[in-house]
Amino acid sequence: MSSNPSTSSTSGGGGGSGGGGPCGACKFLRRKCVAGCIFAPYFDSDQGAAHFAAVHKVFGASNVSKLLFHLPVQRRHEAVVTICYEAQARLKDPVYGCISHIFALQQQSANVTPKILEGGNVLVGFAAHVLSQGTPVNQVVNLQAELSYFQAHLATLEGPSPQQIPPPQPTTLSPGITINDIQTPTSLLGSYDLSSLLEPMMTPSWNMQPPNRRQIDPRGFMSVGTTRALDMAPSQGSTGDLRELARELLQRPSSVSSMPCKTEDSNLPPHNIRDDN
Amino acid sequence: MSSKRCAVCKYFRRRCPPDCIFSPYFPPNNPQRFTCVHRIYGASNIGKMLEELNVEDRVIAIETLCYEASCRIQDPVYGCVGLIPWLEHELNITQTQLAKTRAKISFVHANYVARGEPFIQQSGV
Repeated sequence: MSSNPSTSSTSGGGGGSGGGGPCGACKFLRRKCVAGCIFAPYFDSDQGAAHFAAVHKVFGASNVSKLLFHLPVQRRHEAVVTICYEAQARLKDPVYGCISHIFALQQQSANVTPKILEGGNVLVGFAAHVLSQGTPVNQVVNLQAELSYFQAHLATLEGPSPQQIPPPQPTTLSPGITINDIQTPTSLLGSYDLSSLLEPMMTPSWNMQPPNRRQIDPRGFMSVGTTRALDMAPSQGSTGDLRELARELLQRPSSVSSMPCKTEDSNLPPHNIRDDN
Repeated sequence: MSSKRCAVCKYFRRRCPPDCIFSPYFPPNNPQRFTCVHRIYGASNIGKMLEELNVEDRVIAIETLCYEASCRIQDPVYGCVGLIPWLEHELNITQTQLAKTRAKISFVHANYVARGEPFIQQSGV
């Protein structure tokens, strides 16, 4: 039972004269499904009507048809999937819509970040202790600098935090996360399995490539040498093992190309449309 | 016509009644906000949504609708939904990083134990 608005009949889900009947949209609207019906490829006559009902209630048929009309044909399917997702999310949560999902993800990320930083501090302390036993001080300072950089990078994952919209109640969100924190990395999407949006409606599972615009991979910051260090048998328990780990922590590449994620390629929504007064 | 018409009534060039449902959320000094939302959802759909909500929820609903509309205008294909896979990916990265950090701390702790030295581990990690 596919919840994807676009069925396998991409040749036209019953659209138009001579087809297998009206498409889901025309069935819902109780009108004749013409040959070039813009909805026909994306709303089949079986379940498409249910999906279209949600879309029509939230967006309106004419608005959606204008949206689709201005898109190239090869992008329309993805647009329909996301529109259906937004419509269903809005019907399920009339206040927040799909923004609640975005808030939840940001909140989860915000909950994890301090723990990473705390763990990093523990490791820095350890490295400083080991290396202070006869190691130049500047190496410890370098490690501190790297940790600061890592902290800054992790801070950027949370985005800016102006307080303007109270978050959804069911999740305990930090007051700093608001709608303005949400970025729109539209260039990142590439080819995703968008049909998964509509199956477990609020918990889509994505098959995606890592965003190609990211130039900093936080995994690289702490992971260089980690595998090697963890491969050491803890039972060796010698100072040499600890020194090796500490050295690896210090020898991580200190030059990275640029700060991540935040903005240079992201298309932030035009917040200036809002009255900030 | 009153000069205190809301942006919606100004757009439609009609009188703005005292109980206009849009006026608290679409002030006249920001017509672009309503234009954006109207382009995606339509004024009547917005009005119906507002009528179904409690007054205290309407502000948030309008803000989220405005945001979604602006995202959809900027990216007609994905809209704000495009943010979700990126956030999930970032969350994956941070959770992986946390797991690695915890593993590292465990290794260090084991080394200290093996050497018989005290190791003070910070809580919460």
